[in-house]
This record gives sequence, structure tokens and C-alpha cells, in this order.
Amino acid sequence: MDTFSALMSGFAVALTATNLMWGFLGVTLGTAIGVLPGVGPALTIALLLPATAKLDPTGALIMFAGIYYGAMFGGSTTSILLNTPGESATIITAMEGNMMAKSGRAGPALATAAIGSFVAGTIATILLTVMAPVAVEFALKFGPAEYFAVMVLAFTTVSAVLGASAARGLASLFFGLAIGLVGLDSQTGQARFTLGIPELLDGIDVVVVAVGLFAVGETLYIATYLNRQVDKLEQMKGSIWMSRGDWKRSWKPWLRGTALGFPFGMIPAGGAEIPTFLSYAIEKKLARHPEEFGKGAIEGVAGPEAANNASATGTLVPLLTLGLPTTATAAIILAAFQQWGLQPGPLLFQTQPELIWGLIASMYVGNVILLILNLPLVGIWVKLLEIPRPLLYAGILIFATLGAYGLRNSWFDLALLYGIGVIGFLMRRYDIPVAPVLVGMILGPLAEQQLRRALAISQGDLSIFLTQPISATVFAITALVLVGPPVWRRIAARRAATR
Amino acid sequence: MTARAPVHPGELLLSLGLVALGAYVVYGTGGIAETQSYAKIGPRLFPYLIGAGLTLCGAVLAWHALAGGWRNVPLDQEGHDTPDWPAFAIVSVGILLHMAVIGWAGFIIASTLLFVLIARGFGSRRPGRDAVIAVLLGVVVFFIFTLGLGLSLPKGPFGGA
Repeated sequence: MDTFSALMSGFAVALTATNLMWGFLGVTLGTAIGVLPGVGPALTIALLLPATAKLDPTGALIMFAGIYYGAMFGGSTTSILLNTPGESATIITAMEGNMMAKSGRAGPALATAAIGSFVAGTIATILLTVMAPVAVEFALKFGPAEYFAVMVLAFTTVSAVLGASAARGLASLFFGLAIGLVGLDSQTGQARFTLGIPELLDGIDVVVVAVGLFAVGETLYIATYLNRQVDKLEQMKGSIWMSRGDWKRSWKPWLRGTALGFPFGMIPAGGAEIPTFLSYAIEKKLARHPEEFGKGAIEGVAGPEAANNASATGTLVPLLTLGLPTTATAAIILAAFQQWGLQPGPLLFQTQPELIWGLIASMYVGNVILLILNLPLVGIWVKLLEIPRPLLYAGILIFATLGAYGLRNSWFDLALLYGIGVIGFLMRRYDIPVAPVLVGMILGPLAEQQLRRALAISQGDLSIFLTQPISATVFAITALVLVGPPVWRRIAARRAATR
Repeated sequence: MTARAPVHPGELLLSLGLVALGAYVVYGTGGIAETQSYAKIGPRLFPYLIGAGLTLCGAVLAWHALAGGWRNVPLDQEGHDTPDWPAFAIVSVGILLHMAVIGWAGFIIASTLLFVLIARGFGSRRPGRDAVIAVLLGVVVFFIFTLGLGLSLPKGPFGGA
């Protein structure tokens, strides 16, 4: 029971007073920003990066993880009461949960979402505990060629598979990769794409990009296009608690949602979109009253919410064991590791076991705190939804500019922030996904490093990627993932035509 | 089905912008000095790949824009037909003004201006209330981040420094 003793020593780290405090702060902040429309975990962690650079990495990372999964809990509250999904993964909850709220069942909808998230989060954390050492064992066999191959796979799935259009996803990814190029080349010290501007020698900071895209871009978009819309906040009526019948209808969807969400998060396919939609479809198929779906069926909230949460925890497997981020938030957490000079991967499990296992153990604790924060105290969070929109976005921008300016007190970063904000505005307007930009800019330089190492080993021979069994397999999967769906659609269309 | 114009100027412009950026990356890569003995693994290889990828994506998107529009764009996006450009301008002015003054006016004054302008951009008609909230928020944030988290922020004329 090596894993068990590692986990126990992790609990020893997570349960110290300071780390408990960081965890509590993280999940509380996470819930709050999850509830607030317009603020997400990626933005919040990015804003906190400069302020936490001098802190102890274990405590700060425990807080960041708390923000990450705390936001999943808080996000469901907003989707149910306001019907404005913060992320694409909560569209389903917004649909079905808001219907429940409209028919006066907001309480049970919130409860099944919160308890489902707790169940899914806890089971997923157990799975993470079990899977991480296995994945580490596997990752230890990886050389540069294999790393480069899985990074290319992650790039492909994040940009080309998810979302409406592979072309737009890839454009977004390449834009992020191009941002990642700016600055000094890590291996030769050559300045690249700095345009002779000294501020660009250090590269473009991830804080400026994340805050520009998520805060400034979003604010410009809402102000320009959506400000005339009036949101209707559903009132919390009746009991928050679920009836016996609600429990009976919820527990199986929770478990099925978890079983769907975790694997999807774990394989570098990123994003909780697919498992939440799958979970919804499955629950609808299995339900005794499928006609209730679309009008407020509790199963349609319980399943997708569990899937959403389990997949968030699942994304930590590739992040911690391989250093592969598959969501925008995971990419920012990777940047957080980097600011302390830490590189997530199999070696980190050996050099910093107390950090990694402390982080994992803190998630068990965090899930319990979140259940308490989100069930009896949900009324407090609902108050946050009553902040008038002008004040909310004005406040967001105060923190956004503070985050960019605080990096090195330079107006240049603020100019860059606005420029990237306008790009974010255009991306939102033209339905171009934003997450690939962040994954590209943070993972890009690492991918380049591995590519050049692999080619240095093979003396410039590109066939190294296809002669190594693991890397060849991964490239084959990548090709399949890229070419498969369009070919499949074409075959299906032809079949439909001949019929 | 909503009838769509055959060519989508915004989409086309964005696509061409991507092509231009890709071309620039390829062009700029040529100016990076090659120091490695193997040209294949020097600092130019990766930028060439990215420049080519950007150009290709831009070209495909430009073709889509000319041939019936980008694929799978949600058609009934709320508010896209009635953009509020004055709001965009006010928010932009707020951010740029903040950038211009923060160095000498300090964090609190710059943030107050920013807050009031953004709130105005979102249709607030109560600049007085906004300013009071902004000053309070600015002061609290200033002290949390400077004293609590050790970040250095410009104090401005009231800081005494």
C-alpha cells in the first residue's frame, strides 16, 4: 500500500492549520467566483499569480485547486437561478435546472447539483489517487519524442475536437503558440519576435493574456452586445432539501455522471462538454419519465453536474503526471507551478511528494467544505447575483488592470492587456474558442523544447517520432482524432442519402 | 433558416488578419540568427511550423467566409444585430485612461476613473454612487495587495511618497 501511505503523508500536509486555511480560502473564493457571472477560475487564478509568487507553493497550489473545483460548485448555482451558463459545460444544467427553478423547485435543483458535485468530486479524487501512481509509472518511460507526441495529441483534442469548428479551434491554438514564441529562446537565448521592444524580451505574461481574454474581452463583449438583455433571477422558493423521491432519482445519475466525466477529463480530451452532454442523453434514455426532460427533470441536473465535476478532477491526472493541461484553468495552474520553477510530471512525484500528495489530500477536505458552503449557506451566495451589472464589471476591471499592472508596474502591460482584450472581444463575437490560446501559449514552449531534444537525439531525423512505439501510437491516435470525425460524418451523410 | 449574405466581411477580415500574422511569423523567423549546428533543431524550426499553421488556418477560414460563412456559427446570437458601440467606446476609454494616468495619479485615482467609466459604459446613471464605491474598493484593494500581499502599487499624490 505505497499509495496509501503517500496519501496519508499528504493528509499530514493538508491538515496543517495554514494549509487548511489556504484550502478554505480557495474553495470559498472558488464558490464566489463560480457564482458571479463574468468571472471564472482561469481568470481568478491568473489574477492571483503575481500576488502568490512569494508564498509557499504547497499552500498556494492547494488554494488554486480549491478555486478550480470550488468554481464548479458555484457555477451550478448561477446556471440554475439565472440561466446564464458561465462555461459551455454548464449549458445543460442551465437548461434543465432553470426549468426546475421556474416551477418552484430551485431548492432540490441546487441540492442535487451540490450533493452530486460532492459525490462526483470525492469519487473522482479517489480515482485520481489510484490512477496518478499508475500514470506516473507509465510516464517514466517517456522520452522527448513521447512527450512531444502527447503534447501534439493534447493540442489536437483541445482545439480541433471540441467546439463547433476545427478550423477556428486550430486558428486559436496557433495564435496561442505564436504568443508563446515571443521572448528569448529558452535554449539559445536568441530574441524572437520582440519587435525591438525591451518589455517583450521576457515574453508575454500569461496573466496579461488570460486577464485580457477573459476579463477585458468579456467586458467589452457584454457591454457591446448583451447589456440590453435583462437577466431574470429565479427566487429560491420552498425547501432547499430534497425529498425521498428526489434522492431516489438522483443517486444513480450521480454515479453514472462520475463514471462518464472522469475518463473524459483524464484522457487528454479536455473539457467537460462532451461528458455532460452524454450524461444528459443517457439519463433521458434511462429515465422513467423522459417527457419531463426539458421541463425540469432532476436527473438532467444530477447527471451532468456530476459529470462536470468528475471531469474537472480528471483533468488533474494528465496535468500532474505528465504536465499536460487540457483546459484553460489547467493551463493557468501549470503556469502557477512554473512560477516556482516546478514542472509537473513523473519527476515531481519523486522530488516533491509532500506537495503533490498534500494537494491531492486537500481535495478530499475541500469537497467536504464545499458541500457545507453550498448547501446550508447557498442563500449567501445567491446574494452575489444581485450585484448590479455595471458595478460587477467595473469591479472585475479594477482587479484585471491591477493584475496586469502589478506584474512590473509598467503601462506597457496595460496597453497589451487592452490589445488582447480587443482580440478576446473579436473571438467571442465570431465564436472562436479561447481556451486553445492559453493551452497553446503555455504548452507551446514546452513542446518546442521536447521537439528539439528529440531531434537532437536523433540527429535531426524526423522518423524518430514514428519508430518509437509509444510516440508512433500516440501520433496514430492524433491522426485518427483529427481525421476520424469528418470522415465519419461524410459516411453517415452518404448512408442517409442512399437510404 | 435565416438568409445569410454570401460574403461575411467581418469573418473575411479576421481570416485575412490570421493569414497576415502567419506570414509575418514566417518572415520574422528568417531574421532569427541560427546558432545550432543542426539547422533542423535550432530556434527557427518551431516558429516556421507555427507560421505555416497560422497561414493555413487563416486561408481555410477565408475560404469558408467566402463560401457561405464560417461553419457552425450559432445563428441566433442575442444582441449581435444591435451592437452598442458607444458602450464599447466608453469602456475602452476607461481602460486606456487608466493606463495613461496610473503612473502619476496613483492606483486609487486611476481605478476610480476606470470604475466610474466602466459602470457608465454599462448604463449606470449614478456616477456619484459609483465614485464612492470605487474609492472604497480602491482603498481596500490597495492596502490588501500592498501591505497584505507585498505587491508594489503606485501611491500617487496622496501617498506622501
